[in-house]
Amino acid sequence: MTLRQIVRAAVGAVLLAALGHAAQAQQITIALGSEPTTLDPQVREDGSERAVNDNIYETLMARTREGALVPGLAAEAPKLVDPTTWQVKLRPGIKFHDGTPLDAAAVVYSVQRIIDPKLKSEQASFFSTITGASKVDALTVRITTNGPDPIMAARLYWLKIMSPAHGASKQVGAVPMGSGPYKFVGWNRGRDITLEANPDYWGDKPKIRKVAYRFVSEPGTRLAGLMAGEFDLITNLLPEFAGRVPKAAHVQGLEHPIVILNADGGITRDPRVRKALNLAVDKQALAEGLFEGRARVSTGQLLSPSHFGFNDKLKGYAYDPAQAKKLLAEAGAAGKKIQLVGTSGRWLKDREVIEAVAAYWEAAGMKVEVKIYEFGEYLNRLFDRNTRADAIFVVNSNEMMDADRSLSAYYKPGGVGASNKDARLGQLIDAARTEVDPAKRKAMYNEAVQLAYDNAYFVWLLNIEDVYGLSKRLEWTPRVDAKILVREMSVK
Amino acid sequence: MGRHLLTRLWHGLIVVFGVTAIVFVVTRMVGDPVAMMLPLEATAEQRAAFEHELGFDRPIAVQFGDFLAEAVRLDFGDSLWQRRPAMEIVLEKLPATLELTLLGVGLAIVLAIPIGILAALRPGRALDQSTVAFSLAGLSIPQFWLGLLLIYVFAVRLQWLPTSGSGTPAHVLLPMITMALPALARLVMTVRSAMIDELNQQYVKTARAKGLPLARVVGVHALRNALVPVLTLAGWEAIRALAGYSVVVETVFAWPGLGLATMQAIERHDLILLQAVVFTVAVLVVLTNIALDAVYQRVDPRMKLA
Repeated sequence: MTLRQIVRAAVGAVLLAALGHAAQAQQITIALGSEPTTLDPQVREDGSERAVNDNIYETLMARTREGALVPGLAAEAPKLVDPTTWQVKLRPGIKFHDGTPLDAAAVVYSVQRIIDPKLKSEQASFFSTITGASKVDALTVRITTNGPDPIMAARLYWLKIMSPAHGASKQVGAVPMGSGPYKFVGWNRGRDITLEANPDYWGDKPKIRKVAYRFVSEPGTRLAGLMAGEFDLITNLLPEFAGRVPKAAHVQGLEHPIVILNADGGITRDPRVRKALNLAVDKQALAEGLFEGRARVSTGQLLSPSHFGFNDKLKGYAYDPAQAKKLLAEAGAAGKKIQLVGTSGRWLKDREVIEAVAAYWEAAGMKVEVKIYEFGEYLNRLFDRNTRADAIFVVNSNEMMDADRSLSAYYKPGGVGASNKDARLGQLIDAARTEVDPAKRKAMYNEAVQLAYDNAYFVWLLNIEDVYGLSKRLEWTPRVDAKILVREMSVK
Repeated sequence: MGRHLLTRLWHGLIVVFGVTAIVFVVTRMVGDPVAMMLPLEATAEQRAAFEHELGFDRPIAVQFGDFLAEAVRLDFGDSLWQRRPAMEIVLEKLPATLELTLLGVGLAIVLAIPIGILAALRPGRALDQSTVAFSLAGLSIPQFWLGLLLIYVFAVRLQWLPTSGSGTPAHVLLPMITMALPALARLVMTVRSAMIDELNQQYVKTARAKGLPLARVVGVHALRNALVPVLTLAGWEAIRALAGYSVVVETVFAWPGLGLATMQAIERHDLILLQAVVFTVAVLVVLTNIALDAVYQRVDPRMKLA
């Protein structure tokens, strides 16, 4: 743009911008924290990509606002036809936005595409059990696995269905095309993405006619845009801003900050020390002081109530500094050094939480050595299987909403972030992964979660809420799975 | 002159190569892009398989050889997190940063010269003192905070301008002002002190004594001599913005420039994109320096090379 053009257009544009604020009915603007890196729904693990594509693409299984699995594109929940084969029946008559049918061939293609190593999909680990898919008839598909896989329904909730022609096109990352309630209109890179309602949508007709996404990384600027009436919905609202927006909406989220304690060696080898480190921290104060109450005290497990495997009998460690001091004294750990490893700027208020935990441990009589690393270096520590730090802060967010993923990574001996050698715990988690009876499977997780709690393998801190800022006119209730589905919104 | 230019270009080429090579090695030494790309819960085997698919498990010398072979054709490979050619991203983002830099530094120069001259005409008087005070304030205000303040006043309270984004001239005003202010503060001080120096020179007194009007003495004779340090600083401001300092303004105003993309590339350890960015910025810095040299010689013939 030349200077001359700018001068010429300046006056008119100022006027236009002012008029642009006038809210247009049935058209909303959503501000995301970053621009989607691609709009190919199968390659990246990117929340902004999902925020847009969740409205364009659909999955075989879906979830209710509260997290229960329900059929999506599938006519019914998948059925196990033999121990390693699931059969999925599709709803008839569903079409992609280009008019081609969403049939068994499309589902087979989508499954095969995402498990192909050549796609280099960052989501591949969600589908690591799937070995292939085949068409039975026009509306029936069989998906095979490398062993009994009770998590299939949850996996299918994550697997977006694409048309084979579209998946093969060069434009697949730039011009999304699915079967969902919204159709892609345009993407001005760096500026905005626009979608419009799909008039031929098979489900309930969406009320919002048009939606624009903007990308604003600075939380203060997102807030300003909401206050100025430019945005109708902003994500990741800082808890301290919640009082200043026209309307705030929050829901129990999936993020769990915890501290992994090394049960195999060092000062934390003694279970009394690990219990004391739990009892020493005032979780309620963290929730109120750092998150303005927009976080819930952990129930002593790495699961939210909406996760499969959640143990609803567990209460979590209370705040009992006197008992903590007593246990540390008994274990001979009072005044001893403990290392707490963490990172900064990766998760909401990570450094603040780490420093608060360190202060509580100091108050209980430990000498805490806090090590905040740059994220890459931090990951080296988290994944280091040979030398485990005494205590490692991490935030787990399990969008699959099934216990297996979190527990395999952090609870199970040998998991990427686990610091224990509890054989029974490992057995339970392994057995549950292939147990196809949901009741038995749930019982196994309940036992595993209880076992880890009794042995205090972690310091469970909080379950952070997702907080959104809304304009006055927008009507929307956030979902526990953090999906931002425009078809669930309306404007007054 | 022609030979001198060739020498400068040759030196520039060495700089660009050196910087690119250093970044190549360093980014592969610190941190593992694969660990950052995959979900934290991915297993060690899954990470290793992914690393293999991306080719990061090959010896670094082999990777560097391949990189050079592609880089001479300006092909830096696909960005890890956008899955499209890195150079395409850089060239897409660069105009926005150039626009912001040129407008911001341009505004600063246009304002700094008259303000600095006016202050220099009567050093120590009210106008001069307020100029100095303003400059100090401009240097002390964090750019980040200034941007948010402008947004709050002009976009949220008065609603004259959009809070953020790009696309219309209205969108560029606040980022441009935010970009310009610290540069303006530094430039005003430089113009002022250079002009004070020049105005105390004998030739100025001679010119005045033989009856030349003040405006001509100041605006032509003294200013031309005073311009050299000003140009140096203006060039430095532009290079500084291009080399990454624009990121603050770009972040606050969601301005889709190279600084913001670079920041995200660093956060996500996107080595491929980072290499393309560093290469491009190095080329720009070298070219800006060469251009600045040429301007120097126009302004001050003493700098002409034999």
